[in-house]
Amino acid sequence: MAEIGAQQMVEGIPPFGSPNIPTTAPEGGDVQILASGWRLALREFFSNRLAIVGLGVLVFFIVFSFGGPLFYHTNQSLTNPLTGDLAPTWSHLVGTDDNGFDELGRMMAGGQTALEIGFFAAFMATVIGTLYGALSGLAGGIVDAVLMRFVDILLSIPLLFIVLVLATRYSATVLSQSLIIGLFSWQIPARLVRGEVLTLRERDFVAATRIMGGTQTRLIIRHLIPNALSVVIVNITFLIADSILLIAYLGFLGFGLSYPTASWGDMLGNAQNAVTSGYWWLVFPVGGCLVLVVMACNLIGDALRDAFDVRLRRR
Amino acid sequence: MTGYIIRRCFAALIIAIGVAAVVYALLAFTGGSPAVAALGTHANRYTIAAWNKTHGYDRPLVVQIASYIWNLVQFKFGYSYKQGQSVGALLNENAGRTAYLSGTALVLALLIALPLGIAQAVKRNSPGDYVATTATFTLYSMPSFFLGLILIQIFALDLHVFPALVSDNVTTTWEAVTHPMQLTLPIVTLAGLTVAGFSRYMRSSALDVLAQDYIRLARAKGLEERFVLTRHLLRNACLPIITLIGLSIPGLLAGNIITEGLFNYPGLGLLFFDSLQNLDYPVLLAYTVIGGVLTVIGNLIADIAVTVADPRIRVG
Repeated sequence: MAEIGAQQMVEGIPPFGSPNIPTTAPEGGDVQILASGWRLALREFFSNRLAIVGLGVLVFFIVFSFGGPLFYHTNQSLTNPLTGDLAPTWSHLVGTDDNGFDELGRMMAGGQTALEIGFFAAFMATVIGTLYGALSGLAGGIVDAVLMRFVDILLSIPLLFIVLVLATRYSATVLSQSLIIGLFSWQIPARLVRGEVLTLRERDFVAATRIMGGTQTRLIIRHLIPNALSVVIVNITFLIADSILLIAYLGFLGFGLSYPTASWGDMLGNAQNAVTSGYWWLVFPVGGCLVLVVMACNLIGDALRDAFDVRLRRR
Repeated sequence: MTGYIIRRCFAALIIAIGVAAVVYALLAFTGGSPAVAALGTHANRYTIAAWNKTHGYDRPLVVQIASYIWNLVQFKFGYSYKQGQSVGALLNENAGRTAYLSGTALVLALLIALPLGIAQAVKRNSPGDYVATTATFTLYSMPSFFLGLILIQIFALDLHVFPALVSDNVTTTWEAVTHPMQLTLPIVTLAGLTVAGFSRYMRSSALDVLAQDYIRLARAKGLEERFVLTRHLLRNACLPIITLIGLSIPGLLAGNIITEGLFNYPGLGLLFFDSLQNLDYPVLLAYTVIGGVLTVIGNLIADIAVTVADPRIRVG
């Protein structure tokens, strides 16, 4: 992946640090053009059966949550206690909850918020962590040490604690909860990217960029981040899984999204009473969705990690 | 070696102080005013200003943080105005029951995960390994309250073996110890989550050991397989446990909030949960800081214990 852009190549002179490329084509068919690292990784990923299963489950839930309500119309805003806690029937496939909302429709709506928060929080954590880690690794020395001690400090504060405490302060919307989670889970990507940058910055193409007068910003954005991207992408899937779990914990403890916005965690907040009252349909279908989505993200993450790990790759 | 331990302890101390400072500052920026908590929402701003002055909340943030940390060092955790008692007393009252719950869950998790992970590594890629991997992977992706709900449904409601909630009669640590039936479901719930992480780790650690030359040598010299497993594999595969115990602290602390909330078991987790609902910030602040410091200590112990236990890792 150490190709420096061909557009930077001075005419006739091979790019700095690359092996001398013979100008004439070698005799015979002994030159094999290897697929690029990304294509190899993708091929490896799609040959992993568990990865396909995980991807399939995730796609299913995206379609289920965002496409489902288009076909399965339910009322999710007006409560009707008279039709509350009905067992599954043909008109309510998964029954109704305490407020008379259709449970299947609510599962779809809850899936939307879970996925939105999961993706948004993970995206934000990744962006913050990547920039922070790249800066820290590049700066080196005392700046790096101080920045990384700060990461250590934030990493030592139990995430659930701080997120719960902050959740008591802000009105709970999809945006505010994603922000809270995202702002406190960027430490791992920061560490990973810093580690990558520490090895990358000794490489020839970084020296070449510097010699050619490339700015620090260009170095980070054009060279270091693309090269460190594989670890970041693997981590993003785990971040999504963790964020979805975290938001479910918040909802379960009663600090989830403000009513009447649906979330899987909120739907399970009353689960204990539902279980003891025998309303199994209010607990196990939602919980099952939660487990499946988190499991799918973890499966995809594991498969991506294997695919990007060159040492494990089958040639 | 001693130098490494001293340096590591010093770094941990800095991080612990940093944790207290960051959490205090976060709450100061976002948290409710302690004056409002003490005086009620109808207090006018002159009384609030006077109250802040007498209690030191008008000082610069840095000074407040320093004095808070100085109090923490002396085990003074502040005062809960909502509950009318010192936070230290509240924590102290609940710590025993939480320690008992977490301790038993941790031991149970180790007793399950250790043999399971090693057995999976020895019989790798067998049907049993696949079943165990699937089970632990599912558990790993499951929120702990959902595991608790499943256990309540099966063992409390269907089979009537264990109670669905911990009885109100269990109020002291001693009563918790002497009522194993009451505590079984919370302990299993908390352990279940820990097992998921541990056994995945144990399996890969045992696989690493199995690939080592000394295992091959032991087999080559004709040592019986069971001695290979007990004398060579087990001892070496157990090394990461020390690390795992140290690193499991944040998970256990978070798990306590959920498990104690779910089963209504009076401990630090339930105290934290109640304080969230009362907006009792001194308690939230103290327990979050303590959680952070425990995490730092866990990491420290994990690092040092591994260096001491494994002569191959000798950091200069």
